Amino acid sequence: MTKEELKSYLESNYPELTYSESGKYDLLFIVEAQKLVKTCEKLRDDVKLQFNYLGNISGVDTTENYLTVYQIASISNKLRLDIKVILPHDNPSINSVQSVWPAANWYEREIWELYGIEIHNHDNLTRFLLPDDWDQGHPMRKDWDAPDFIRFPQK
Amino acid sequence: MAELRTEEFQVNMGPHHPSTHGVCRLLLTLDGEKIIKVEPYIGYLHRAIEKICENRTYPMCIPILDRFEYVTAMSCNYVFSLAAERLAEIEVPERAEYLRVIMLELNRIASHMIFFGTTVMDIGALTPFLYALREREMIMDLFEMTCGQRLTYNYIRIGGVSRDIPKEFIPKCRETIKTIDEKIEEYKRLLNGNPIWKARTIGIGKLSPELAIAYGASGPILRASGVEYDLRRDDPYSIYDRFDYKIPTYQNGDVYDRYMVRLDEMQESCKIVAQALDGLPEGDIRAKVKPNFKPPEGEVYTRIENSRGEMGVHLISDGTNKPFRLKARGGSFAHLQLLPEISKGCLIADLVAIFASFDVILPEVDR
Amino acid sequence: MIATSVTFWLKDLLGSIGLSGDLLTIATYGILAVAVFSLLSVLALFLVWWERKVAGHIQQRFGPMRNGWHGWYQTLMDGLKLLQKEDILVFTRDRMVFFWAPIMCFVAAFAAYIVMPFGEGLIVADLNIGILYIVAITTFTIISLLMAGWGSNNKYALLGGMRSAAQVVSYEVPMVVSILIVVLSAESLSMVKIVEAQGGWIWNWNIFKIPVVGLVAFITYIIAAVAEANRTPFDLPEAEQELVAGFNIEYSGMKFAMFFLAEFINLFTVSAIAVTLFLGGWQGPGPASISFIWFFLKTFAVIFLLMLFRWTYPRLRVDQLMEFAWKFLIPLTFVNLIIAAVMKHFGWYLGN
Repeated sequence: MTKEELKSYLESNYPELTYSESGKYDLLFIVEAQKLVKTCEKLRDDVKLQFNYLGNISGVDTTENYLTVYQIASISNKLRLDIKVILPHDNPSINSVQSVWPAANWYEREIWELYGIEIHNHDNLTRFLLPDDWDQGHPMRKDWDAPDFIRFPQK
Repeated sequence: MAELRTEEFQVNMGPHHPSTHGVCRLLLTLDGEKIIKVEPYIGYLHRAIEKICENRTYPMCIPILDRFEYVTAMSCNYVFSLAAERLAEIEVPERAEYLRVIMLELNRIASHMIFFGTTVMDIGALTPFLYALREREMIMDLFEMTCGQRLTYNYIRIGGVSRDIPKEFIPKCRETIKTIDEKIEEYKRLLNGNPIWKARTIGIGKLSPELAIAYGASGPILRASGVEYDLRRDDPYSIYDRFDYKIPTYQNGDVYDRYMVRLDEMQESCKIVAQALDGLPEGDIRAKVKPNFKPPEGEVYTRIENSRGEMGVHLISDGTNKPFRLKARGGSFAHLQLLPEISKGCLIADLVAIFASFDVILPEVDR
Repeated sequence: MIATSVTFWLKDLLGSIGLSGDLLTIATYGILAVAVFSLLSVLALFLVWWERKVAGHIQQRFGPMRNGWHGWYQTLMDGLKLLQKEDILVFTRDRMVFFWAPIMCFVAAFAAYIVMPFGEGLIVADLNIGILYIVAITTFTIISLLMAGWGSNNKYALLGGMRSAAQVVSYEVPMVVSILIVVLSAESLSMVKIVEAQGGWIWNWNIFKIPVVGLVAFITYIIAAVAEANRTPFDLPEAEQELVAGFNIEYSGMKFAMFFLAEFINLFTVSAIAVTLFLGGWQGPGPASISFIWFFLKTFAVIFLLMLFRWTYPRLRVDQLMEFAWKFLIPLTFVNLIIAAVMKHFGWYLGN
C-alpha cells in the first residue's frame, strides 16, 4: 500500500479522520478527542492496516491549543501514520490509548507531567522525569519560564 | 510445626549502581533473590533538551542533540538533519549521502561494541570489555580524523556533512572494517561455546514478538524476537536501498539472541561500509543551505534505525529560524518500560543480564 | 638435612641460649608466627600485584607500571593508602559483629598456615590431623563473611553474606570428599605424611598415582577451591555488577584491606593445599634445602591457573551455582571416592 492508496483508503473508510496538510512527509490525520480510542482500536484491528506499533506520542503547546500527536506504524504492512488530537487550552484532557498500545504508558505519563494534559483511564499517573517535590508547573508549556532560563531575542 | 514465614524486602538498585549503565534507579521488591516487582525511576539525567532546542536556531540544535544519545551521536545528528531536510525539501548531494551512510554504520558498530563489552562485563567476564573498546578505538580514530571529535561529532549537518574526509581515511577505514570483521568472529569463538555464558543467557528474559510490538520495542530487540523489521529497509531513508545486506533475525527473544543479533549486525554494517567506500562518488558534500535556515511551516516525524532501535524526531516548524517543537524519541525509552514486564520472577543476576541486553542508555531515556 | 623440622631446630637453638619450659614454647611459636605472618603478608602483596599484571596482560594492557620496575611496589603503596584512609563507620551497623568480622576473616586465613609444609621440615607444627584442621579453620572465613554482611546492616551486604554462606556450605562437601581420596591413599591426615607418600618420581604424585581418579579428584578439588576462595566464576558474594561489592560494601580503610588481603591469602591457601595433596608438595629433584622452591613453584602455577579462570570466565548465577554443586559435583566426588576405595583395596596404584 503506497501513501496515496493509504490516504484514499482512510478517507473513504474512516469518516472520523480528517486529512491535514501540515504533515510534510508522512500522512497526518486529525481526530476528535472523544473518538480517539475507538479509532485507534479500529486502526489496529483493521486487517488491511494493522497499526500495531506505537512509535511515539508527542505533546505540543501551540499557545492556542494543546496537541497530542500519535506516531503509529504497521510492522507487517510497513505503513506509517500520524494522528493528531486538538485539545482546548483550558483544562485539556484526553483518554489514554494504553488499552490499544501498552507502550503508551510512559509517553502519556510524560505528557501529563510536562504539559499538564489530564489523561483518563491511565493506570500509573505518577511523576518520573521531574523531581518528586516539583511545584513549578509544567515546564514544556510555552508560557513557562524559569528564572535561569534565558531566551534569545527573537529576530 | 510452624510454617516458615518469609518477608519481601525492597532494594534500591541505583541511581549509582555499576550495572544500570548511567543513573537509573530500579526499585526492586525481592523475595530472597527472586524479583517480585521492578519499578524503574528515571529523570536523573533530564537536561531538558527539547525545551532548550525550542530556543535555538536549527544549526544550533545539532550539537545539543549530540548529547541526546551520545553513544551514537551520528544518528542524532542525522535524524534531526533528515527531519529539517524533509521539512524544507532539500536535495542532499550524492557524496554527502555516502559519507553519511559510512559514518552512521561505523557509529552503529562502535555502539554495538559498547553493548558487547558492557553486557559481557555485567555477566561477569571483565576481559571482553577491553577487547571491544580496543576495536571501538579504531572507529573513534576514524571519526577524529574526519571531524575532530570522538564522541559528540556535530558532523552531519542540514543539507550534507560538515567537511570532507581526508585522503588517508579510505585505506584506514578499509583496514578497520576488515579487522573488526575478524575480531567479531573471535568474539563468537570466545563466548559462544562457553557453557557458563550459555547458561547465563539462553532462555533468560524471553520476550514474545506480540509483547515486543505492543510495548513499542524496536531495533535489535524486536529482531531478536523474530520480527524482521528494519527501518533501513522498511521505511527507507538515505541510500540504503543501494546496498546489499542481510537483516539478522533470531527467534527466541532471549538475552543470547539479542546478543547474537547485534554481533551479526556489526558484520552486516561492515559490509555496508565496504560497499559505500567502493561506490563513493566525487562531488559536493553539502547542499546550499542559508545560514539562517528557515524551513516552511509544517510538521514531520522522521525515524531511523539506530543501534538502540527506532530513533525519531518529531519536528514542528512555524516558519521561523527556531523549531517550534522538537520531540526526540529514543529506543531505550520504550525498552525500559518493557523491563518490568519481562523481569518478573527472575533472579537479580538475570535482571542485570536483561538490562544489559536491552542496551538501555539513560540520556536517551531522560533527554 | 634439617633436624626433622624447623620447629625442633628453633627449639634447640633457643634451648641452647638458656630458655626452658613454657617460655621456650612461647618464644619458639612466637618467632615462627611472626615469620609466617611476614612471609604471608609479603606473599599477599605480591599476589595482588601479580593478579593485576596477569589481568593486564590478558586484557592487552600492562597493568601497574609506574611504581618501580613494572610497578613492583604498587600494592605496597595501595596498602599505605588504605592505612591512611578514614575508617567510615555506618551509623546503623551492629557494632560488635561489624568490628570482629574482618579480624576473624584475617585470623582464619592465617591460622591455616600452622600445618602448611612449605618445604621439607619447614612446618610450624606437624599435627596428626593436619588436613582436617585446615578444612575446619578455613570455614571460619565464611562465618566472617556472614558476619560482615549482617553487621553492615545493608541489603546488598546481607545478600552477599547469604550468598557466600550458601555457596561455601555447598562447596565444602565436594572439597572434603576430594580431599578424602588423598587421605585414603596416604592413610594419614598429617600434611607431612601425605607429602612424603608422594616421594620419588612424578607418577608418585597423587594426581597420577591413583589413575584417573586422582585427576578427577584434583579437578573437583580445584573447582570447589575456586568457589571456596570466592573467585570468578564463583565470585557471587561480591559480584560487583549485581551486589555492587557484596559483603564488604560498607568497609573502608584498613578493615577493607584485611578482607582484601585475607582473600589473597585464601587463594594461596587453596593452591598450596592442592599442591600438597595432589602435586607432591615440596617433592622435586635436588637436595632438601631447595624443596621449598618446588613448593612455591607449583603453588604459583596453580594460582596462575585460578587467575586465568578469573579473567576469562563469566559468572554463574546463584541457582546454577547450587545446582552445579548438588546435582553434579557432589555425586561425582562420591562416585570417585567409592572407586578410589575399591582401587585402594586391590592396590591398583601407579608408583609405589
